[in-house]
Amino acid sequence: MSNLVGSDLFVLFLCGITFAAFAPFTPIFVTPANLANILIGCLPLLLLATGQTLVLITGGIDLSVTAIIGLSSVVGALVMGGDQGWLQGSPIAMPVAMASMLATGALVGLFNGACIAWLRMPAFMVTLTTTMFFSGLSVWLAKKVVNSESIYNLPPAFLAFGTHAWLALLMAVIATLLAHLLLARTLLGRWLYAVGHNPRTSLISGVPVGGVTVGAYVFSGVFAALASILLTAQLETGSPNHGKTLLLDVIGAAVIGGTSLFGGKGKVLWTVYGVLFLSLLGNGLNLLNVSDFLITIVKGAVILVAALLDVWRTKFVRGP
Amino acid sequence: MNSTPTHLERPTTNNEPFIVFDHIEKAFFGVKVLKGVSFGVGVGRIVGLVGENGAGKSTLMNLLGGNLQPDAGELRVNDQHYAPRHSNDARNAGIAFVHQELNLFPNLSIAENLYLTDFPRIRPAGTSGRADARRSGLPWINRRALRAQSVELLRQVGLDLSPDTLVERLPAGERQLVEIAKALGANARALILDEPTTSLSSPECERLFILATQLRDRGIAIIYISHALGDVLRLCNDLVVLRDGEMVGGGPTQDFTHDRLVSLMVGRQLNQLYPERRSPARPEPNETENVPGRKPALQVERVSQPGIVRDISFSLAAGEVLGLSGLMGAGRSELARILFGLDPCASGEIRLNGENLTGAPRRRIQRGLAFLTEDRRQEGLCLEASIADNMALVTLPSNSRSPVRFLDYTRINSAVKRMREAVKLSPKAADTQAVRTLSGGNQQKVVLGKWLLAKPKVLILDEPTRGIDVGAKSEIYRLIYQLADRGAGVLVISSELEELVGLCDRILVMRHGEISGEFRRDSFDREKILAAALHFLKK
Amino acid sequence: MNLRITFSPTFFTAAFAIVALALTGCGKSDSGAANSSTSSSTSAAPDQVKTIGVAFETLQTEFWVAAFDKLKADCAAKGITMLEGVADGDASKQFDQVRNFINRKVDGIIIVPKDGKTVIPMIKAANAANIPVVLYNRPADPTDAKHTAVAPDNFAITKETVTYLVSLAKKTGKKQKAMILLGDLGDVNAIGRRDGFEAAIKDAGEAVEVVARIPTDWNQEKALAGVQSAMQANPDIGLIFTSSDFMFPSIKSVLSNLGKWKKHNEPGHIILGGFDGDATAYQLMAEGYVDATGVQDVYWEAEQAIQVIIAAKDGQISPTRIDDQGFAITQANLKEMESRMWGAVVATKKK
Repeated sequence: MSNLVGSDLFVLFLCGITFAAFAPFTPIFVTPANLANILIGCLPLLLLATGQTLVLITGGIDLSVTAIIGLSSVVGALVMGGDQGWLQGSPIAMPVAMASMLATGALVGLFNGACIAWLRMPAFMVTLTTTMFFSGLSVWLAKKVVNSESIYNLPPAFLAFGTHAWLALLMAVIATLLAHLLLARTLLGRWLYAVGHNPRTSLISGVPVGGVTVGAYVFSGVFAALASILLTAQLETGSPNHGKTLLLDVIGAAVIGGTSLFGGKGKVLWTVYGVLFLSLLGNGLNLLNVSDFLITIVKGAVILVAALLDVWRTKFVRGP
Repeated sequence: MNSTPTHLERPTTNNEPFIVFDHIEKAFFGVKVLKGVSFGVGVGRIVGLVGENGAGKSTLMNLLGGNLQPDAGELRVNDQHYAPRHSNDARNAGIAFVHQELNLFPNLSIAENLYLTDFPRIRPAGTSGRADARRSGLPWINRRALRAQSVELLRQVGLDLSPDTLVERLPAGERQLVEIAKALGANARALILDEPTTSLSSPECERLFILATQLRDRGIAIIYISHALGDVLRLCNDLVVLRDGEMVGGGPTQDFTHDRLVSLMVGRQLNQLYPERRSPARPEPNETENVPGRKPALQVERVSQPGIVRDISFSLAAGEVLGLSGLMGAGRSELARILFGLDPCASGEIRLNGENLTGAPRRRIQRGLAFLTEDRRQEGLCLEASIADNMALVTLPSNSRSPVRFLDYTRINSAVKRMREAVKLSPKAADTQAVRTLSGGNQQKVVLGKWLLAKPKVLILDEPTRGIDVGAKSEIYRLIYQLADRGAGVLVISSELEELVGLCDRILVMRHGEISGEFRRDSFDREKILAAALHFLKK
Repeated sequence: MNLRITFSPTFFTAAFAIVALALTGCGKSDSGAANSSTSSSTSAAPDQVKTIGVAFETLQTEFWVAAFDKLKADCAAKGITMLEGVADGDASKQFDQVRNFINRKVDGIIIVPKDGKTVIPMIKAANAANIPVVLYNRPADPTDAKHTAVAPDNFAITKETVTYLVSLAKKTGKKQKAMILLGDLGDVNAIGRRDGFEAAIKDAGEAVEVVARIPTDWNQEKALAGVQSAMQANPDIGLIFTSSDFMFPSIKSVLSNLGKWKKHNEPGHIILGGFDGDATAYQLMAEGYVDATGVQDVYWEAEQAIQVIIAAKDGQISPTRIDDQGFAITQANLKEMESRMWGAVVATKKK
């Protein structure tokens, strides 16, 4: 039993239990259509949580991901869509727009990382204020250029990410896989863990702590931009408001998966399971006609239990 | 040299034992850690408890403190059965611990630390003078009483400081005295001092010894645990030697010598603490400057940082072991940090193998510099990470393939494996175990192994054997010599003069941020070296 | 050794990915199958409407609560199960909820969208599953996605309301300064009301001058702050129109503090008008503080929405737009019209 609890597969096991628990009560839960729905719906959360995992491993936190979604959504839409889209109608609109969305995410991440690594400001503070700043900026930008908060008329090639589920899935899978490889198999991955364990030791041992920290936030920003691509395509609108309510789910999924809020511990695979679990839970409760507010309460309770469980797992499995 | 276990009978004087360990046994997961230990600690006696790490000292103290319970045997305090389940039980019985890692809150004042669990309260009129006066009363702190009582306690330990001073402003020695004052404040009748001198300078040690003697004369029973055998022999009335969970020697101090203690602890003759240096190619130190074309490994020229170090110049030859001695606060560790690039240096030059050394630690590591810091837990290790992760940390870049820097885990794992054997890391510890669980000696071996893997050209060691048992110390000396014999220059900073004298080819002495003396091996004179640390010695 | 491979994380991930890809392929074809079965059953015999999915953007004001409750009550009366969803302003959450309804094969979906553009893909998704969609109170942007919107003519109702306010202003004989609290300009309703206001003011010519246009984004805090600063900059504002009645408490708070909260027959009264017709407005009108408000018939709109879905089950296609006529209720016609004002009904129910 302790092997199971401490193992990587614990949360996957929980998913299985959730699945088995809901199935008899709502038969719709297990239909392929519903499962596909859950899958497609959880992709933006998956991307956000994966990016966040890297930041959490370094012992930081990125609260600005929802603002990045909004900003890059607006930027991308301004490039490729709307009535006054810069490149509207041009065949290179979509790739340029997507590149600029990713660049937006990277730049915001760079800003976050620089403040945290070189100005030594606490991550919580920095990313909280950048949220305000950049979400305000995205609204201002939208209003200034197209005088409204929504920008539409996006090229059909881009909208394919929303209408063709397999495309979105492919993008998410590739991105997640790349994140996993980075973390598990590259130098940067090891450095991320080291900085999370002990930044002083890391510095003395030759790890470029500042650069690694910035890298983590840039990564988180880029993944938030990827999530933004999916959300913008699904809703066929560039808007500063996409994904606003996702923040707590993002951190919750990472914590449920087993990534520690204190740094030094975490895996992409765990986060995948965490996202899965949260999505299964939310969907199942929804199908049982539980009201939205109650679902939020349940999710909150689950995340709290996960955090407590994390402490217990560490103590129980590793010993005193 | 007799190494059969002897039992310590009740002390011959009329000092009754305050604490008695009676045939104590304890096992963890079937492995016996204490195999029937019996001795007593008399009122008004200082008992020295010595033994290598793993001998069972900490377990014994944990039993005394209530963190663990014995499997067999009995503890008695003040002639009554004593079976603590919680640290409060120990405190109530009058037993106080002063641990190696002090339990003070640096951000609070001395007074607050002294009375943290027991603030004197504002008492309603007419109730002062009651026996439990401190605990009764309204829940507001009686600041005046707090200050008065704190001043009194500080006086007892000989500290003349304002009780409002923040602890973070105090040097290690004074913090320790505060810790002792705290124990006295709790009306301790027995005091356990665990490795008390590791962070202390010589005068601070002296002060501690005087205080310990005073407390002993006041009737407090003291258990003194330390690796500094010289101190133990000087200070304690009785000695207890543990090895592998058994008491292999005990009795009044005059029955023991340094060598006998060491051999009891280790179980074998250890007359060679400092291994022979076998390298015939080792250059004579005073040849370095005169041999044309031979570049010294490290050259330091007029390095200064206002307020920290001034006009430091020396050179370290390849293959040389150079010691850096001095009192606490002389600037040795600060100099090391400047050499490594962690702290800035206002003027001067540092050259490694003839070329200027600049930039962040990362750059200097790439050039061949290595630095084992003073504080291995905070700066040398990632405590929660595994042994393998820690050991591989510095050399990760060289084990990764461009452009994406994929890591070659096979190479890393085999390098770690070889280094584990080379440093003789305890084979019981798994590669994936967190280093937090290792003993001090093994932890230090992990840190040293980490640096050795980088094949450094110059290695700086700051207090490499602090808090480490004798066996591990010897290992580390051996590794230092090995490294030097391979052509690296080694700079050893240590507060143990004996250690430097035994280990080094040359010793530099620092005082108040400047080099105040230099001694070659053939003219090592302990008194002169100490004098240089205290005053300037004109060459 | 085999067991190791089976339980390794890599295996699980790979297995998972394969299943996932299969599902997404399956999902589409499955909804295709569902399509055919639904349409065949429709043509066979008129079924009962069994479930309706209701996705609201928010329940933050009386208006939405009243609407929600009315829908609930009507469904209960007709024996229809109502599935609920509230998105709290998050468009992607709303899309999730709509997708959920589609999966559960509801007979109709009623949506209150946050804005007219993001709702279009949701409508398209419902179209693909052959489920009728009704937009409640807020229309979508021009699109060919099949749906019906039941919404008030914000422009006309507001113009009527503000024209009355202007007439009061003219009666004072002085040139009046006016302020408007704008709604979230991503909301078509807010735009309609603003345009109605501006049109009525234009007709007033010299008698009224607009000195403050406060963007509230339908947010009470912003309204409060905005009104405060506007009153500071222009202490002699004599006419205030709010795009929604739920912001009256903010206005009352500011004016009370300035000593300007006066009834319509007291000197120093500021002409006050709003839109919605909720219980707060009714109360304030009954007490005499508020002069007029544009009423949308919440209950009627709700009935219409459900009706559209029932009709769709019978095979009837409803028009893309059903207008809620609405009217302006003023101090002048309060007594005769109050029975048609839903806010009055709610207020009297509470008593």
